Formats: sequence, C-alpha cells, structure tokens
Amino acid sequence: MSEFSFHSYCHVLQRIRETRSTNAKITLFANCLKSAEDEKTLALAARFIGEGAFEEISGKRASVGSRTSGLAAAKFCEIDYELVFKPCRTATGSSSEAIARLMENIPEAVQKRNPEKLSLSEVEQIFERLQKLSSRADKEALLWEVWKRMTPVEIKYFIRMLSQGSLRIGFETRSVVASLAEAFGQDREEVRYAHMITGSLGKTAVLASQNRLDEARFSLFHPLSFMLASPIESRAADKLEQYVAEEKFDGMRAQVHVDGPNVKIFSRDLNDITQTFPDVNTFFAGRKLPATVFDGEICVYKENKILPFQLLQKRMGVKKPGKKLLEQYPVLFIPYDLLFTNGTPVFDLTLMKRRELLEKSAKKYKLPVTNQYEISSDDDVKNLFDRAIQHGNEGLILKKKKSVYEYGQRRKSWLKVKKPGGSFETVIMYAHAGSGKRGGTYSDFTLGISVKDDERYEEEFIPIGKAYGGYTDKELKKMNQKIKELTVERYGPTLGLIPELVVEIEFDDIQVNNRTKAGYTLRLPRFRAVRWDLGPNDVNTLSDVENYFQHKISQERLTQIENPSFTFHANDQK
Amino acid sequence: MNIQKTGYHGLYFPDLGISLDGYHPEAEVVFVSHAHADHMPRNRKARAITTHPTLDFMDCRGFTGSGEPLAFGESFENNYCRVSFYPAGHILGSAMIYIESDSGTLLYTGDYRTPPSPATEGFEAPKTADILITEATFALPIYKWKSHEELTHEIHSFATESLNDGYTPIFLAYNLGKAQELMHILAPLGHPVMIHGAGFKLCDVYEKYGIGLGNYSVYDRDTCEGNILIAPSSAMANGFASNVSKKRTAYCSGWAANESRRTQLTVDKMIPISDHLDFFELIRFCKQLSPKMVFITHTPNPAVVEHYLSKEGIENSFLHLEADPED
Repeated sequence: MSEFSFHSYCHVLQRIRETRSTNAKITLFANCLKSAEDEKTLALAARFIGEGAFEEISGKRASVGSRTSGLAAAKFCEIDYELVFKPCRTATGSSSEAIARLMENIPEAVQKRNPEKLSLSEVEQIFERLQKLSSRADKEALLWEVWKRMTPVEIKYFIRMLSQGSLRIGFETRSVVASLAEAFGQDREEVRYAHMITGSLGKTAVLASQNRLDEARFSLFHPLSFMLASPIESRAADKLEQYVAEEKFDGMRAQVHVDGPNVKIFSRDLNDITQTFPDVNTFFAGRKLPATVFDGEICVYKENKILPFQLLQKRMGVKKPGKKLLEQYPVLFIPYDLLFTNGTPVFDLTLMKRRELLEKSAKKYKLPVTNQYEISSDDDVKNLFDRAIQHGNEGLILKKKKSVYEYGQRRKSWLKVKKPGGSFETVIMYAHAGSGKRGGTYSDFTLGISVKDDERYEEEFIPIGKAYGGYTDKELKKMNQKIKELTVERYGPTLGLIPELVVEIEFDDIQVNNRTKAGYTLRLPRFRAVRWDLGPNDVNTLSDVENYFQHKISQERLTQIENPSFTFHANDQK
Repeated sequence: MNIQKTGYHGLYFPDLGISLDGYHPEAEVVFVSHAHADHMPRNRKARAITTHPTLDFMDCRGFTGSGEPLAFGESFENNYCRVSFYPAGHILGSAMIYIESDSGTLLYTGDYRTPPSPATEGFEAPKTADILITEATFALPIYKWKSHEELTHEIHSFATESLNDGYTPIFLAYNLGKAQELMHILAPLGHPVMIHGAGFKLCDVYEKYGIGLGNYSVYDRDTCEGNILIAPSSAMANGFASNVSKKRTAYCSGWAANESRRTQLTVDKMIPISDHLDFFELIRFCKQLSPKMVFITHTPNPAVVEHYLSKEGIENSFLHLEADPED
C-alpha cells in the first residue's frame, strides 16, 4: 500500500465520484480507511469526507466564501476575475471545479505549484489557521501558500471541505458509516448509534477501529442532529392508529441542553443560540433540572397566544436582545421530545416511552409540553388540523408511536401535515446559471410581480423571490429554449429577460424584508407550474402580496385557554 | 470587406458573390466547410462547392441542391475572388475556406481541430491571412485537451475492462465524425463493433477514403450484447440496448470535461474527446496566423477570447453565429 497522504486521499474521493454503484463506493472508502496508518489520520479521513474541514459539533467555520477563493485563484493563475474566472465558473457550475482546472491548465499556475504530499494532519492545521484569520488578504495569502503545495484535485476538495458542505461525490453520511462498518468488521447499526451519540465521524472511526464502539458516550452541550419530518403527501401514513398527532408550532426548532444552572440552546443547523434567547436560558436555569436534553420549538408567546413566526423573526439573529425587545416579543420554549434525562440517553426508546419521561419531567419541573392526541381516522386528523390552524400554528406532525429518535434523518416516522402555503402568478425576470447538478443550464430564476399601476414604483415588475426546482428536466429544457429568445441582457452568469414567461409559484409563508425592493420575501418559494397559457398581464401585483401578508398577520388566533396546543404545568394552580 | 450573416450560421459576401455554410439567394455559390447539420445548406436551389467526402455525406443526409467537389489544393475562381480549401481536422472532409481577393485574404475555419482527429485528412493552414473568422466553441481556459495517446488509452481501457468484467461497453458519440473516430481508435483491439443505424450509413464514406473502421456492423438489438456499441446519447432514451442489463456507458465529447455532465447523463465514464480545438490551441493559432483582424463565432463566451486576443495586440470582434450545443 502506498503512503497515505492528502493527495492519495483526494484521489480516492475522485474515484468515489466516478463510481456509480453505492456498494462499490463504500468498498473504495473502506479500503482507504483501512490504509490509514494512525488514529489521527483515520479520524481525519472520516471527518473530511463526511463533515468537512471541521467537526460539525465544533461549530467552527473557516468562512472562506466562493468569492474569496475565486479571487485568490484568479490572482494565482494571473487571470482576470470578472472577465475570465467568472465565465469559467459559470460553464462548470462549480467554483472549486473551475479553480482546479485552471490550476491544471494555466502555465502561470502550474509554474507556481510544487506538490509535496501533505499529510491529513498538516491539512487540518491549515484549516485551523484559516479559521483564525479574519481579513480577506490574510486568507488569500494562506490559500496561496497551501495551493503551491497541492495538485489540482487536492485543491478542488480542499475548497469543498472548507465550505463545510457536501463534497459532491455522491457519498453521504450513511455511506461513511457503512464504510466504517465494512472496514473494521463492525455492525452497521452499532456504528450508526455511536455516530449519533458522539456526533463525530472521526471519534466513531477511531472507536470502530479499536473495537470500542460500546464506549461511545453522548456528551451534554454538544448538539445532536435533529430528527426531521417528511411531508405527508409524498409518504402517506398507512395506519393512522400507529401515529399520534401534535400541533406543528409557528416557531423555530431548537434543542435545549440543561444541567442545573447551565443551559445551552441550539438551532436546527446546530448553532449555539443561547445568547439570543436569554429568556429561555433563565427559564431553564432556574428549574434545577438534572442533565437533560429537550427537542422542541421556540415561539413568541404573549397573552396566552402563540404569535406569528414573523414576530419571532425580530428576535432571531439578535445576539444580545435589549429589554424592550424581550418585553415586546417574549418567547417560550415548548418541549416535545426528550433525548437525554438524568444523565442517560433515551433517544433509542420508543416515542411513547420518551413521552412518558417527558411528561414526568415537565410536571416535576413545571415546564410546558406539547399536547399529544390519539388519531384513528381522517376526520380526527382534519379536526385537529383545523384547530391547529386556528391557534395560528402551521398544521400537525404525526409521529409514529413505536419510532425511536432518528437523529439527522428525514423518514416516515414523523409526517408533517401542513396547510398549503399561498401561490402567486409571477413572471421570470432573470435566469441564473445553475450550479452542481444543474451546471450548464439556466435553472434558477428571479421572479417578479407587477407594479405597473403602483405609484411607488417606476418599473413594471419587481422581484419577489428566487426559485429553482419543481420542474421536470423536459420543462427546464423548454424554458431554456424560450429564455434564449427572451434574453436582452447578460451579466456574467445571469440573463436579463423580457418579462413574458409566467410561472405559478407556491410558498410556505411570507415575511417582511426591507432589504428587498418589494419589501417582502417568500419562504420556500418553488415552482408549481410553468404557465405557458398566461402572459405578463396575468401576474399578481404587489398589492396582492401586501393583502396576503396583512391577512396572515392579523388573522385571529385562538388563545391557549381552551383545547390548547400545549400544557404548561407552571399554570396549574393547585 | 463586407461580411453579412445569412440564416443562423452562414456568412454572405456581397462583394464576392459567394456565401459560406449558409444559402443566400444572391450568392452564386455556397462553400460548405463540413457536413454537420448546422453548416450544411438546406435550400434546393443551393449550388454547393465542397470536398469529395463532404459531398458524399451531404448526399447521405438528404441534401437536395446541386453539389460540385473541390479537392484540397485546387481552387475555384470567379470575377471577384479565388477560393481554396485547407484540411480542418474536425471530421472527414472538413475544410477551412481560404479566400483571396482584391481586398485581401480571409480564412474561415468552419469547425476545426488541431492537432487533428486521426480519422480526417489532417490539419493544414495557410501561412497567414488578413482576416481570420474562427469558431471558438471551447473558448475558456478550463478547456485543455488530453493528448491523443492518453485518450486512446482511456478508450481502449474502458472497452477492454468492461468486456473483461462481462459488461457491454457503449460509447455515446454523435453520428458523423466522433462515432467513426472512436471506431478508428478502437479498430486495433479487433473486437466487433456495432454502430447505431444513423451512423452506420455514413461509415462507407470513411472506408471509401481509406479510413479503417475495423470490424463493424449495424446495431442489432438481439445480438448486440458483448459487442462494443456506439450510439448518439439520444438513442439511450429510445431503448438502445435496453435489453442488455450488464452494460457500461462512456460519454465521449468535449463537454465531458465538465463534471456536471456526469450527473445530467448518468454515465459510467466521461471521455473528454473533442473535435474542436481547445482554448490554448485557439489562442496559439490566432497568434501564429497573425491576422489584422479576428472575428470570433460560435461561442457562448466571446468576451474571454476578445480579452486574450487584445492582450496579444490582435484586433478582434465578435460575430454572432449560433453554436450547436451538441457538437
């Protein structure tokens, strides 16, 4: 076996990318793991492919955006960023791929590079150094220094690891887990479990290689990936009796870790948001709980009503909210699941058992807890759903009674029943070159609404949102042909179009956003249909959008006094 | 020199009474650079002058006008100009068109490739020209082709490894040019090849002009398993070899250099073999010819070539002719 280096590692990544069968990919990576000569290298090999430059639970980010790496690469290759680099990026649909190929092709770049087979540990140190830098110039200088020591394929994956996203080689966490099991003759389920508890592929790899998976320990104050719900339309529930229903709150998902006076709050993307919600922090710090982890929802809660998400937004992202903000938009964290209690993980118990423990804890420590309902017919679902909507909530979540907490997965055990969001007819104003899978086509679109008769605007249409997906490949091809005819301007990867192509979009919600021309943004906008039958005179107007928002925000919400969506034991007056 | 567009792809020279790669009612003749659909005149009234192989291909592909052959080294003359052909290395019969007139010399490249495809007459250019009209299909520095040896090795290994593993190898390549180039490269393996019907009928022309295509026959669904198969990518959607469960596909095109193509096509192998020259060859060729003026056509990124030519001090401009994305 040849020496294990970042260079040989990246070649394995590339081979995984070029292999179609999942099993063959898993075997390729299992062999790579087996050839790691020490613990450290093994841990990094598992981390880099599955989590990126940094451990997910570390919360670290290198913040090297595609502009930073693109600018640095353009200078490195001695090419013009705007004129040459950008069209290359557009043609490939990937900044890192464009950079790698320029590094390979351009003589000025080839001359500068002197690849030297870095070890994975050396690359990790570089990631750490990058993370500590804040100015673009410093980052650029370090990137230069590193690239000089790498081959193009290393540079490509180095950049992708830095973005802490997917390496785009068709190899997700599940496959890494399978490779670990195959490499070290472990049970796949046990590897998965250890990964769930440690939240770290690196640690899991080391435990698996040393036959110590049973030592995996969950550690408090490190977030666990959230279990996610699938939409019910796509995966209909076959036997309703197997499920219980809970209201789906109009708030933000959060995980609360408590141990006595110590509290940490984590968001869906596993960021520490404790400072943003001092009210939740104080609430739990005062309850003297033993080591416990809750999954639940943060909502603005005032005068016995759950208030719209749009109000919660005013709190989100505010690091140290002032007194006024706290009074105006008080929040409540409503637990609905329990992952850890009295120092023991319970996510492997069934939902009903976890629920029992959650209720006990809620009673004892006077915590709110979501209400759960048995269901057996579509009518039950409908009645509960209507009530949830009247409370101002989004709908229902159906949860399988016998399911364990499937961290980080979106499967059939939790199903969301949501009211269909709104829809508008919009017109395509700009088409953007797609990236990744859709590289080489115009697949993202800026959609406009009409302000023709609106005195506040001079233009005819203004953007309301950007959407991609929801169309078939065939439809996309047809749209691209039409776009060719409609193009009037070109700004790098973006085309300005004659507003003619009408698209019906669907969205989950609508929010005020003063940074946009329209003053609103849509949440999760997506295509419902390309309306070849409609023209630009048929699109919705800004007043339609405003009316929709007003209706939404001023909609009467039922109080939580009768038939509430959750029970708050602090309110039980004995 | 007065240059006008005719149709989507053609050029018309009113002062010279001729057009290139597109019919114009006022032109006495149309010179055809090669037999790909986007360069071939469709009009029945067209009087086409082109190379012998191109004329044969045009006959196979339903050209209804009248055609006259002009060999490399010969020239056509009218009252205003003299026109001759230079081998373009793109596909068999492909020619660059060289025009000499009182207002100077002009080289129109059509589609070209240097170093040339081995299944062509090679590549040769005049020493110089006042005006160069060049295609620039792959006009970005991300495009730099591997050597012929490397590509041959990739093609051979894909075929033999698949066959050794018990899989039927399928090369996806378009019908005229790329398909036969692959057959020519595969011929030394001696393994039987089956080619999709639309490409098959063009193979005779290659054999006629002495390009060996090896041991091949027309695609037959029932007996195709175990042969090396060649088909355009569109055929896969129409059930080509769908009865063969153990097969591997390789997409053969310059566009295969782009990773995104892999996901879009779901193929096993991407072989970036192009019949256009790459960016670096393009700039080199422009410098070598040192024309007074370069017109760039057939490219989505004229600004990049303009930028590099201007850096070299070569005056240039974009001439908007459409590129066919399948080439």
